[in-house]
Amino acid sequence: MTDTATTPRPSRHGDEPLLSVRDLSVTFRRQGEEPFTAVDGVSFDVRPGQTVGLVGESGCGKSVTSLAIMGLLPPRGNTVEGTASFEGTDLLRLPADEMRDRRGRDIAMIFQDPLSSLNPVVSVGLQVTEVLERHRGMSRKAAQPVARELLDRVGIPDPDRRLKDYPHQLSGGMRQRALIAMALACAPRLLIADEPTTALDVTIQAQILSLLKELVEDTGTALVMITHDLGVVAGLCDEVNVLYGGRIVERGTRHELFANPRHPYTNGLLASIPRLDGARGAPLTPIRGSVADNLPWDHACAFAPRCSQPVDVCTAQTPPLEESGVRALRCHNPVR
Amino acid sequence: MTTTTDQAQASPPNDEGDLLLDARGVKVHFPIKRGVVFDKTIGHVYAVDGVDLQVRRGETYGLVGESGCGKSTLGKAIIGLEPPTEGTVSIDGTDVASLKGSELRRRRKDFQMVFQDPMSSLDPRQSVESLLVEGMRAHGLASDGKKTTARLRELLTAVGLPAAALKKYPHEFSGGQRQRIGIARALAVEPKLIVADEPVSALDVSVQAQVINLLEELQGEYDLTYLVIAHDLAVVRHISDRIGVMYLGGLVEEAAADDLYAQPLHPYTRALLSAVPVPDPEAEDRREQILLAGDLPSPSKPPAGCRFHTRCPWRQETRCDDERPQLRVVEIDGVASGHRVACHWAEQIESGEIQPQVVAPTATVGDLLAGEADGSDEG
Repeated sequence: MTDTATTPRPSRHGDEPLLSVRDLSVTFRRQGEEPFTAVDGVSFDVRPGQTVGLVGESGCGKSVTSLAIMGLLPPRGNTVEGTASFEGTDLLRLPADEMRDRRGRDIAMIFQDPLSSLNPVVSVGLQVTEVLERHRGMSRKAAQPVARELLDRVGIPDPDRRLKDYPHQLSGGMRQRALIAMALACAPRLLIADEPTTALDVTIQAQILSLLKELVEDTGTALVMITHDLGVVAGLCDEVNVLYGGRIVERGTRHELFANPRHPYTNGLLASIPRLDGARGAPLTPIRGSVADNLPWDHACAFAPRCSQPVDVCTAQTPPLEESGVRALRCHNPVR
Repeated sequence: MTTTTDQAQASPPNDEGDLLLDARGVKVHFPIKRGVVFDKTIGHVYAVDGVDLQVRRGETYGLVGESGCGKSTLGKAIIGLEPPTEGTVSIDGTDVASLKGSELRRRRKDFQMVFQDPMSSLDPRQSVESLLVEGMRAHGLASDGKKTTARLRELLTAVGLPAAALKKYPHEFSGGQRQRIGIARALAVEPKLIVADEPVSALDVSVQAQVINLLEELQGEYDLTYLVIAHDLAVVRHISDRIGVMYLGGLVEEAAADDLYAQPLHPYTRALLSAVPVPDPEAEDRREQILLAGDLPSPSKPPAGCRFHTRCPWRQETRCDDERPQLRVVEIDGVASGHRVACHWAEQIESGEIQPQVVAPTATVGDLLAGEADGSDEG
């Protein structure tokens, strides 16, 4: 045990998935309204030392997926189906108190908006020491220097002063770093990052991303990266899942996916973003319509009304997810 | 004033008639007050601290910078929503900064703003028709009922919304459609200049492209001049003809869009461009990042000298700490005359004479976690 902890080497990165999500579905039910399926049969694996991306636009179900895995969805008004097995334990069936123990210790999560995930009336230092006390059984006295060390290592300048500061006294980038420090406090084996840099400026984003990359490379932590930014994905993720309307529509290693996008949605996303490295002046090719135009998946492809190359079968039959190795595609009429 | 001579060098063929917007020496300082009985001013936030900005008729000027750099405040100062503490803003020959009350309101017909968040900038209780007519009526453009109806139809067609949208309310639309309404509202009074503050950053990627394309089409159709304020460098590069980069209340570099991205000269611009992730794994693997240390200093206590010197990897012992650099034309072969930089050492940095210092890396996360795991195992 001590061996693996002191020598965090790539050898630790096994082939066995650390987290294995199978057929995850989340349906929200409200009185007087049609049930809404936000996540619809999502499956993916994450191995130690691997970064897996979940990419998509607002409403594609990427955040609900992570909340369901973390057991953070409200207890009423929704149905979660499928399994999320973490080293053989199905997180979705775990009693609340056992899940609470795992959260923070084995699995940590960082959110998009650091201000709303920090307690505004507790100093940053205390929030970090609390994690150490709760999950590592440290005394407050023992935890304090460790908390200071953590803040220092995630690049917060003047950590002694910052320990006493309250969240509102920190800048957005520093708050996000404080959250990462809290997430790191227990050396989690799985880290779920939900749009961790979306609220930040690019230079700060670069700092945070390099911190995450370092974490994955040095400690073999498995990272699930949830983002809408294809640029972030291109630099960070080993494997990318593209979500649309609650389902995975395409999957591949980052090199494959970006070099050879087969789903019209993935292709459309790449064509619609202005790029720093491309020629300037060519008009962008947007994806027409918006997510409001989606068809239900039952008897069609949800993306068909916005698709650049729909065929008749697209509005008559649900396309299955065809998998071969890492690559997967859900489309009746793929690009090329 | 060195700035004025630099200006003359930078854009020699510019006769004044060519300029639609001419802002000079604009400063916006917000007082910081404290005290219960008496408001005592204990300091200022130097949000915009001396900016010269010229926008030619028909062009798109992009203003980029990170949050807190003062770009939005500058935009507001330009259209008179935030009276400048100092400086002049002239639009089409009239000094707007000195206008007040009804005179300013009347002039607002010429310059309109498109805001970032279409949900909070559209009154939820007004129908689209009433939102659009309000501005037209205020400027006496809605006197003839028939003509107004025709004009409303035309506006909706221009921004790509169906005529049925007139009777609907903002909440019935998606984010992209709401931004179209915001643009139609700005267009309704036939402005010359549109200041767009983060027009697409609240939108999904696929919808962003629709709005960007729309802005470009409308520019050609209605002879519009744009000042686009944004933090997304790729978006700004795509739509702008010229770009100004702001840092902590001042412009640090200004150039034609292609020049700026092909050859950034200011250390901050270099760092900014190197930090933007590109959706191409091959390029990402090759990318050399200039990681900046620390955060933006507080605009209430801006550093002396060059404002960027606290984070600059190329900082020198002399000049940087105590002499504030002005925007100037640099003498480097192949750099266009409109390319101006506020850096004392731009030439030496470009030639490689001055090398960046590597920002001391902190111990790795790995060391930290390994060390700590030991501690906990014992305990």
